[in-house]
Amino acid sequence: MKKMLSVLLAAIMMISLLAVPALAEDAKVLTVVTWDATTTPYLVAQKEAFEASHPGVTIEYVDVASQDYAVKTTTMLEGGDTSDVFMVKEIDNLINWQAQGFAAPLKDFDKDYDYSGFKGTEVNYAVDGVQYAIPFRSDFWVLFYNKDLFDAAGVEYPTNDMTWDAYAELAKKLTDKEKGVYGTHYHTWLSAVVNWAVCDGVNTLADKNYDDLLYFYKLYQDLEDAGACMSYADLKASGLHYSAAFANGNIAMLPMGYWYVSTLIGYNKDGTCNFNWGIVAVPHADGVAAGSSFGNLTGAMINEKSEQKELAWEYISWLGGEEGAAATASVGARPAWVSENVATVMSSVEGFPADENSKAALLPSAVAMEWPVAEKVSDIKTIVNEEHSLIMAREVTPEEGIEEMNERVAELFE
Amino acid sequence: METALHSKEIRKDNPVLRKILRVIIWILLIALAAFTLIPFVWMISSSLKLDREVFAFPMRWIPETFHWENYSLIWQRVPLLTYFKNTAFIAIVVTILQTLTSSFAAYAFAKLNFRGRDALFLCYIGTIAVPWQAYMLPQFIMMRSMGLYDTLWAMVVLQAFSAFGVFLMRQFYRSIPTELCEAARLDGLSEYGIWARIMLPLSKAAIATLVIFTFVNTWNDYMGPMIYLTRDVNKTVQVGLRRFIQENSSDYHLIMAASLCSLVPVSIVFLCLQRYFIEGIATSGLKG
Amino acid sequence: MSQAEARKVRYKMGKLERKNTLIAYSFLAPNFIGFAVFTLVPVICAIALSLFEWNGGDISKLKFVGLDNYATIFATKKVAEKGLGYFFDRADLGIALKNTVFYTIVTVPLTIACALILALLLNKIRGAVFFRTVFFFPYVSSMVAICVCWSFMLMKDGPVNQMIMALGINFNRGWTADSTMAIWSIILVSVWRNMGYYMVLYLAALQGIPRELTEAATVDGANKWQQFLHVTLPQLKPTTFFVSVMMVISCFKIYDVVAIMTDGGPGRSTKMLVTYIYDEAFVKVRYGQASAISMVLLVIVLLVTIIQFGSEKKFSND
Repeated sequence: MKKMLSVLLAAIMMISLLAVPALAEDAKVLTVVTWDATTTPYLVAQKEAFEASHPGVTIEYVDVASQDYAVKTTTMLEGGDTSDVFMVKEIDNLINWQAQGFAAPLKDFDKDYDYSGFKGTEVNYAVDGVQYAIPFRSDFWVLFYNKDLFDAAGVEYPTNDMTWDAYAELAKKLTDKEKGVYGTHYHTWLSAVVNWAVCDGVNTLADKNYDDLLYFYKLYQDLEDAGACMSYADLKASGLHYSAAFANGNIAMLPMGYWYVSTLIGYNKDGTCNFNWGIVAVPHADGVAAGSSFGNLTGAMINEKSEQKELAWEYISWLGGEEGAAATASVGARPAWVSENVATVMSSVEGFPADENSKAALLPSAVAMEWPVAEKVSDIKTIVNEEHSLIMAREVTPEEGIEEMNERVAELFE
Repeated sequence: METALHSKEIRKDNPVLRKILRVIIWILLIALAAFTLIPFVWMISSSLKLDREVFAFPMRWIPETFHWENYSLIWQRVPLLTYFKNTAFIAIVVTILQTLTSSFAAYAFAKLNFRGRDALFLCYIGTIAVPWQAYMLPQFIMMRSMGLYDTLWAMVVLQAFSAFGVFLMRQFYRSIPTELCEAARLDGLSEYGIWARIMLPLSKAAIATLVIFTFVNTWNDYMGPMIYLTRDVNKTVQVGLRRFIQENSSDYHLIMAASLCSLVPVSIVFLCLQRYFIEGIATSGLKG
Repeated sequence: MSQAEARKVRYKMGKLERKNTLIAYSFLAPNFIGFAVFTLVPVICAIALSLFEWNGGDISKLKFVGLDNYATIFATKKVAEKGLGYFFDRADLGIALKNTVFYTIVTVPLTIACALILALLLNKIRGAVFFRTVFFFPYVSSMVAICVCWSFMLMKDGPVNQMIMALGINFNRGWTADSTMAIWSIILVSVWRNMGYYMVLYLAALQGIPRELTEAATVDGANKWQQFLHVTLPQLKPTTFFVSVMMVISCFKIYDVVAIMTDGGPGRSTKMLVTYIYDEAFVKVRYGQASAISMVLLVIVLLVTIIQFGSEKKFSND
């Protein structure tokens, strides 16, 4: 017992000596809380570009796991963390932070700031007319396709003007069970399967009526029954990530967010996948303009507890603006700032598909928000996602699930 | 239950039936052990495959070719050594503090009469019942004001005084006859003396049990470090592992290799202490 | 200790009582101070918080709402209107309660049975060290790794279903994606992981049974089964008490496995009390309501514990 203890004590002392952290404080270090800092190419590009144009300032990322981002950041802010900038992953994070008083209002800084390049999307970050964050990335959904599989099957590539029915037919045509080829792939998210209903710019997922999702659930189930896509149950259990699934080379089409472009370019570079791919606009429903899509914003806000708010403003205004947008676009991500210049940067990124359709897909005709800013939106999200998982796992029929969505969301507002 | 039923017909003096019983016990044990180990076998086999082979159907238990390079790959990709160091620090300090203070407190609860004992004990039990998630926030705000945020010491104080250790030790102490203490008191031993000379030696097995459980719990804790430790130099194995899984969500072979690596230190501690554990039981006279 | 005995001791030590109390406190102090600061105070804060509306941020934003949070989680308005069925069929709390209680009722006896069988088997065997290590191993391995591993094994075409099919049962659904099987996959992983832990406790208890007792029983002509019933089982009572208290508590606090394997789904079929608390606190940022649910959990567990304590006293008197 004594020997044991003395060994343990010696071990502790050694370890505690080793564990003393060396913390170098610099007056001009800007701490930015973000997710997946080491694996996200645009964060690296932004940091390099900002530090190059602002000598003497260092950006230090505080890296948080993406799945835990909301929880971890809320706890950090709750505990009085003084990091200067927090990146905004979901719009409702910012709405919560604003209500809690963690987000510094930008009205002291943004008098002369030019918001025009955001094309109005920045209002999603405003509460009662006051801006609380600057968007710097705006992802909309496109349809990825594997050119090699289309060539092998002798089928023409998808186009920028295609209806959902035409898409479903195409998916079935490309499915080849013997070769293990799937015509298309749906990730498990609600957004990947039925969020298309908001593309018309009229419907939103918070409008308390979900009947318009029915068409897309039916479409999905039809494709799953035909073996044209992997089953939801398997994807859920295996946790197979869409990026790996598509990169395997046996999936012909994949509706996914624009961010996947930079991942695929990276995969082509490091040899993870070798096939040719392209993007087109997502299919559209009858009566909805071709090129309509939905998307999401990513932004940055200043922590109310930051001791260098001016510098933080300098950073986030740069990040959202023309220069930051160029840095973001240089690695294939889509900045929130839209201009001729930025579009050119995006399409000239090395590894971006060279065909005209892919370039044209960069300019969607309309982008609706995946989730609107609305009352009780986080409760609605929970309900819709719960019912979504039941429909997808075929526990209930789409009709029953949608009925349930309508009822439960209505109950929220009684 | 089943073996017990079998033993119903077996008298001590029937060597043939005895042998059959033995065989049945062994077969049962081996079957159960196989069931217990299957996931680990799968883990090992997948950690030596290519990522595509992990999902192949039908499943192969033994990979076609062994890809040992997976292990060197994860060693390059994850700062496992830093994670191990941090986790070891937390686990060791917590284990020592927990064992000492709770055996001390448990003695009072088990063998001393004082006012408010039952109420206080109920407080302890009560907090075991409260999920940590419920009071995580008040606790966090407090720790933050003490300047413990993002330090390894936050994890130490968080877990070192848990009510569980006190409860466990109290249960063990209660099984030691009170007459022993009474006799020692009559011999003029102080309460501290009784604790040190009688209770502590008698409870070696209990202490070993507590040490193993505390160490393992601390080592495998995920939520705590996730909330409290932010910088990479402070991260623990579990948080590091989860990060790795999230960043490489489809590289199942690498995930399994990393998971296996994370198991090694705990297994070593467990195997080492297990011997001590048995010894403790043998020497403490608990066996009779 | 019986009450008469206790009274005698107290009488004997009448004068020394105050001194003894001081000594007792000195034993308690090192643990209690840490415990009070880092656990008790936050718990009390959480209790208070359940009476407030607070969406985080400044403390000044705390708003006293009395029992409103409880009214919300129990959906009192709707229940008054549509009856108790509404609570258990539709309200989040009712569903979480139902799931958690079901999970606990199945998991606790199953784990105790497995742990006891394993301990009894190992108690009589050479080579027990090897097996004990094997059975204990799941408990020491990381939850994250284990759950990932099991989710794969429980897939539609995974090894578990392949084995079931080999037995001639036609079952080809992914466990975690099926709303009746999802909770069973969580039970399976929990039992598999924890049986070794409780087995060790039982082993220690079995080895603590004085040999004289079993020998005396053999001399009296008891067979093994009778020995087990009349000597071993009663001797295991304190351990069983301990194990069942700890397990009921930990079952009510189930979180990790659910979070990693099913995330409460499909639908709400594996929504548990703690996943619900977590969701309210960190996703919806309603700390008051989250604390109110925690209090429901606290009350349930305390009730269970008190009942179990009561029965312990009854048993230890004989």
